Amino acid sequence: MTTLSRILPSARGLLHKVSVNNVAVTAVAVRHNTTKTYGNLSDEDRIFTNLYGRHEWRLKGALARGDWYKTKEILLKGVDWILNEVKTSGLRGRGGAGFPTGMKWSFMNKPSDGRPKYLVVNADEGEPGTCKDREIMRHDPHKLVEGCLVAGRAMGARAAYIYIRGEFYNEASNMQVAINEAYKAGLIGKNACGSGYDFDVFMHRGAGAYICGEETALIESLEGKQGKPRLKPPFPADVGVFGCPTTVANVETVAVAPTICRRGGAWFASFGRTRNSGTKLFNISGHVNNPCTVEEEMSVPLRELIERHAGGIVGGWDNLLAVIPGGSSTPLIPKNVCEEAIMDFDGLVAVQSGLGTAALIVMNKQTDVIKAIARLMEFYKHESCGQCTPCREGVGWMYKILTRFVKGDAQPDEIDALWEVSKQVEGHTICALGDGAAWPAQGLIRHFRPVIEQRIADRDAAKAAAAN
Amino acid sequence: MLQAGSAVRGLCKAIRPSAPIVKAADKAMAAHALPATLVLSRSQSNKPVVADNRVEVFVDDIPVMVEPGTTVLQAAAMAGVEIPRFCYHERLSVAGNCRMCLVEVEKAAKPVAACAMPVMKGWRIKTNSEMTRKAREGVMEFLLINHPLDCPICDQGGECDLQDQSMAFGSDRTRFLDPKRAVEDKNLGPLVKTIMTRCIHCTRCVRFASEVAGVEDLGTTGRGNSMEIGTYVEKMLLSELSGNVIDLCPVGALTSKPYSFSARPWELRRTDSIDVFDALGSNITVNHRTGEVLRILPKTNEDINEEWLADKARFACDGLKRQRLVAPMVKDSKGDLRPCEWEDALIVAATALQEANGSVAAVAGGQADAEALTALRDLVYRLGGQHVCTEEVFPDNGSGTDLRSNYLLNSSIAGMEEADLVVFIGTNPRYVVLVLPCMSPTPGAWCWCCLVCHQPQHLGDSSATVEQLCAGTHAFSSKLAAAKRPMIIVGQALLGQSQGGVLYAKICQLANKLRGSVEPSWRVLNVLHRVASQVAALDLGYKAGVAAVRQQKPKVLFLLGADEGAITRSDLPADTTVIYQGSHGDAGAAMADIVLPGATYTEKTATYVNTEGRAQTTLAAITPPGYAREDWKIIRAISEVLLCVFNVVAHEEPMNVMLQSVGAARVDGSAVLRPALLQLEDYYMTDVVSRASPTMAKCIAAVKKEKSNRYHSK
Amino acid sequence: MALCRKILSLGSPMRQLVLSSERCLSVSTTHHIDNLNKKQVEPKGVEALNPVEKNLTITVEGLADITKLTGVPEEHIKPRRVLIKKPTKNAMQSGTNNLHKWVMTFDTKERWENPLMGWASTADPLSNLEVEFASKEDAIVFCEKNGWQWAVQEPPQKPPRAKSYADNFSWNKRTRRSTK
Repeated sequence: MTTLSRILPSARGLLHKVSVNNVAVTAVAVRHNTTKTYGNLSDEDRIFTNLYGRHEWRLKGALARGDWYKTKEILLKGVDWILNEVKTSGLRGRGGAGFPTGMKWSFMNKPSDGRPKYLVVNADEGEPGTCKDREIMRHDPHKLVEGCLVAGRAMGARAAYIYIRGEFYNEASNMQVAINEAYKAGLIGKNACGSGYDFDVFMHRGAGAYICGEETALIESLEGKQGKPRLKPPFPADVGVFGCPTTVANVETVAVAPTICRRGGAWFASFGRTRNSGTKLFNISGHVNNPCTVEEEMSVPLRELIERHAGGIVGGWDNLLAVIPGGSSTPLIPKNVCEEAIMDFDGLVAVQSGLGTAALIVMNKQTDVIKAIARLMEFYKHESCGQCTPCREGVGWMYKILTRFVKGDAQPDEIDALWEVSKQVEGHTICALGDGAAWPAQGLIRHFRPVIEQRIADRDAAKAAAAN
Repeated sequence: MLQAGSAVRGLCKAIRPSAPIVKAADKAMAAHALPATLVLSRSQSNKPVVADNRVEVFVDDIPVMVEPGTTVLQAAAMAGVEIPRFCYHERLSVAGNCRMCLVEVEKAAKPVAACAMPVMKGWRIKTNSEMTRKAREGVMEFLLINHPLDCPICDQGGECDLQDQSMAFGSDRTRFLDPKRAVEDKNLGPLVKTIMTRCIHCTRCVRFASEVAGVEDLGTTGRGNSMEIGTYVEKMLLSELSGNVIDLCPVGALTSKPYSFSARPWELRRTDSIDVFDALGSNITVNHRTGEVLRILPKTNEDINEEWLADKARFACDGLKRQRLVAPMVKDSKGDLRPCEWEDALIVAATALQEANGSVAAVAGGQADAEALTALRDLVYRLGGQHVCTEEVFPDNGSGTDLRSNYLLNSSIAGMEEADLVVFIGTNPRYVVLVLPCMSPTPGAWCWCCLVCHQPQHLGDSSATVEQLCAGTHAFSSKLAAAKRPMIIVGQALLGQSQGGVLYAKICQLANKLRGSVEPSWRVLNVLHRVASQVAALDLGYKAGVAAVRQQKPKVLFLLGADEGAITRSDLPADTTVIYQGSHGDAGAAMADIVLPGATYTEKTATYVNTEGRAQTTLAAITPPGYAREDWKIIRAISEVLLCVFNVVAHEEPMNVMLQSVGAARVDGSAVLRPALLQLEDYYMTDVVSRASPTMAKCIAAVKKEKSNRYHSK
Repeated sequence: MALCRKILSLGSPMRQLVLSSERCLSVSTTHHIDNLNKKQVEPKGVEALNPVEKNLTITVEGLADITKLTGVPEEHIKPRRVLIKKPTKNAMQSGTNNLHKWVMTFDTKERWENPLMGWASTADPLSNLEVEFASKEDAIVFCEKNGWQWAVQEPPQKPPRAKSYADNFSWNKRTRRSTK
């Protein structure tokens, strides 16, 4: 799961029908006044050069692709240098929340109070539509292992725990092989890469709960408890796994760190718009001709991304209905918004959605959008941990309303009720799952309210006809 | 020992009253009035003075100075604003999951959970703003959508947090049109009734079970809307503190099985009183209606039971109605006890006492109150009798019971909370383990306490261990010697053994030895009593144990609620007249020639002194049944019949004898130190009231059944 | 003072009770003589009285004792004992709003089930008397005045308790929680 709490500005006050409708028509894409175009990343600028598994994924192949090259020198340049490069690169967390990575890692560099520090890699990639981390782990596992070492050095961590999704059996297997190879080659473990720095990497397989991708729930799960999120504070950098300072970072974030250090933060920052720099793995799924995972420059226009890499929409661009741009937790955006949308953090916030994990779920006009969102809500209902009230009760309630919407078995004012319920969930839960569950419903009402109303009216008419 | 275990639980903040207890008791007796000053407030003087590093926050624009790290909820409480909550409980860990306590903090984007959020300097907390009210109303609505509308048949109705808070913060109608969730009920045993559909998943019961009761039986299974509180594999909640989850449950999901459907809270009259089922003296509230005790709830006393109550104290109250002696009885010519008038019984008793010519003795049982003990002692002495004894045994070697500190749980406020090492001898620490450290407000006090309490070390099973400890040859001795605030807690059950005296002497020796290394004014030696009357009886000059009576073979033996079989008919000559005064028809009444019906603790205003020497008063909640009367009045009536002018003489204080050096008595190494009550099923019936209680009988049956369950973890 | 407010609103004799010490060793009581013939007494307290009436005060030194005047039978005065306390919190509820006052309770007399309806009956007219006070001193004065023996039960002291959510996850303390 992704933590999305910072993506959307809160839309408080939009509780009334009138304002809901207003929102529906005011969604406008914002494009920076710059002549530079984004996208069409050249091959030499790709970080993940074995994304499709065409080459050897083991150490030998990794070395051939330039992994583990001068890692020792990077480590020896010291904490400040690594942090500075990461800060310069403008890298933002790739797990969804988009928190500046350099700043996050630097939180760990407080004076030690005797507790060891840990890096936890969130490889519990469960967000529907998202499949970027697994590609890294099964085809380029050494990028992650090396990333753990570099990131761990930057925060002075004693060890890294890779918490991998339980369903990722092959990925876990490849990761473990890579870790073993790295140990054997002296790249990690005692005196990692000969740098004098001791660093261990452990892998822990989850048991198949989406909520365990939330960072604090992941920590709980790693500690052997039920994966139920913790409140913040205490932040993991203060009290994390086993009560020690911890940073939880996404696989992609960690895996790009060594390349950033090797090629320089400025290189990474040269891609994408300001504050949205870098390259990024995009997952395009749904009604496109060629669903794929592709590394592309940030700030690439949504339409270009789909047409260049995914072979366009099934039935042509005009057959597009809506896109969920950042994994299931982000609100969908309809076709007219998609025309202008830019795939980066700020660009999608401007259209009241979010970049999330950059997993595009494309729906063409043959899709029953209410049913699609109802299905997502069923997922969230199923995956809610049940710890805190709004999520436990609210998500189930939203699901019940949405299932009735699918058939039109509802009153028109229940649309407002659903909107209010989603607002009652959003921002009131312990973790961001509540927000992530509320947003799809909000996106649906924001952009497809007439569809719901029509469905209700149709059913009422059918009932009336049947009665006559 | 379970009973003692629960007794110790509340002692963590014990402070011994400075006034001699006897005076309080006698004063109460003399004035027949409620002692005005028996509630002792906790001394503040030993609190360290800390530099003022407090921060200022504003709760609804009221400025409050709070310690750093104080939660928003606590800061609001200091400002006199009560923030609604369900999952938060002062004595449990913070969970932060009900979200009812969400409040707005100025400049924060989202409302914060007040129970878990530490305040920051200058925060402006708004507990009644639009955002706060919206958040509460939202949470309230969510809690209610799957909560059944069965308040009219719910036992919690009228004292339900969910009702209260939905009235105050909720909306007046529902928008929820879909079917509600239903959850299967769990069987947690004969005490706790579950209606799990009502559960709002606050997890208070789970936290109580694991943090306070020390049983990891409860937990959550499933997730999301299908989350359930339960025991996973259905089993009984095997704890002697299980009843507290009923109080903790903010809704009617966990209610009392014995009390179910018997009364509404607004029908009840409540009388504050003291529990007498163990020597702890837990504060309770007796809930009664129409002269019948319906239930007993704990009453907060930070120094004793905090706000917990053991199951026996809570549920044995149905024993107060059964097996009662409701009329005086005298043996007729055939040797059968026949009910008679009070006059007849008093005259027969007085005659017997007078004709005994001074060969009179008395034995007091475990629930006798200080007033009755005083009256009985004075009666026996006036008649020329020599021996007033208690059923419970206490060693009389050395200075015996002359010195009050010899038989009290001496450690004061620091008590267990401040102790860095606790050694239990002859008492079962299993049930003492968790509360004390969990309740510690100062995390610094953990270190050793946690080592001993949470990971208790078993030092040994025989008296040889005591010898080794005394000699300093035991592996544990170094730790003991290093401790600055060690507590040695001696179980009363141990002292009752044949070797008790010698062992006690050894333990005293050990405590004296430690005196050099501990902090000045720290008391090492502590005695944990089993019964409620013992300390008052020893204070009043009673002899511990009935050996003297056996020797004396008195013509008249007066049993004051003595039912534990310490002295039987076979110990006495055939011509001895036995007068039994007490509340229940049990062993004592069975061997009596004259039976005088007395009152139980809920039926009299009487003084009890707990194991730490604190005098507390029960208040009569109801009147005794039938012809039964308050105990001291009966004894006084006898003495009036005897034409004795019966002045209540203030008892002299125990002589202030210096602790004598204990002789080098040899300990028989084979004496076993095992506490008497090790099993939960032994806990439920230990006195006349609980023996008469059907609920306690059900508990024993249920525990035995549970233990025969093949899934029961040993 | 809830009681005083009640009295004032009824227009009965108004009293300003001044306590010289907590132990109420000496209580000086000021009585306003109520002019019963006065027809238009607005129930607004002292201000409503005209200046002449205000001057009609007699100061009674020492303890006020109205037992001689009330006509209450002696059995309900001399042997009765009053416990003055703050209401005990119901262990079943977490709210405390009803606890911020002082109440007095009498010693229990016999109650029985009425055979007609099954309701509780009592012969004690005082058992249902519920008077609330803003302070215990008020209650004490009230008891003294009515000749009841009283005792005060102080409310439980609440020591400040450090609550920290972070302690649940602490690495080296026993505050660490294994379950939820």
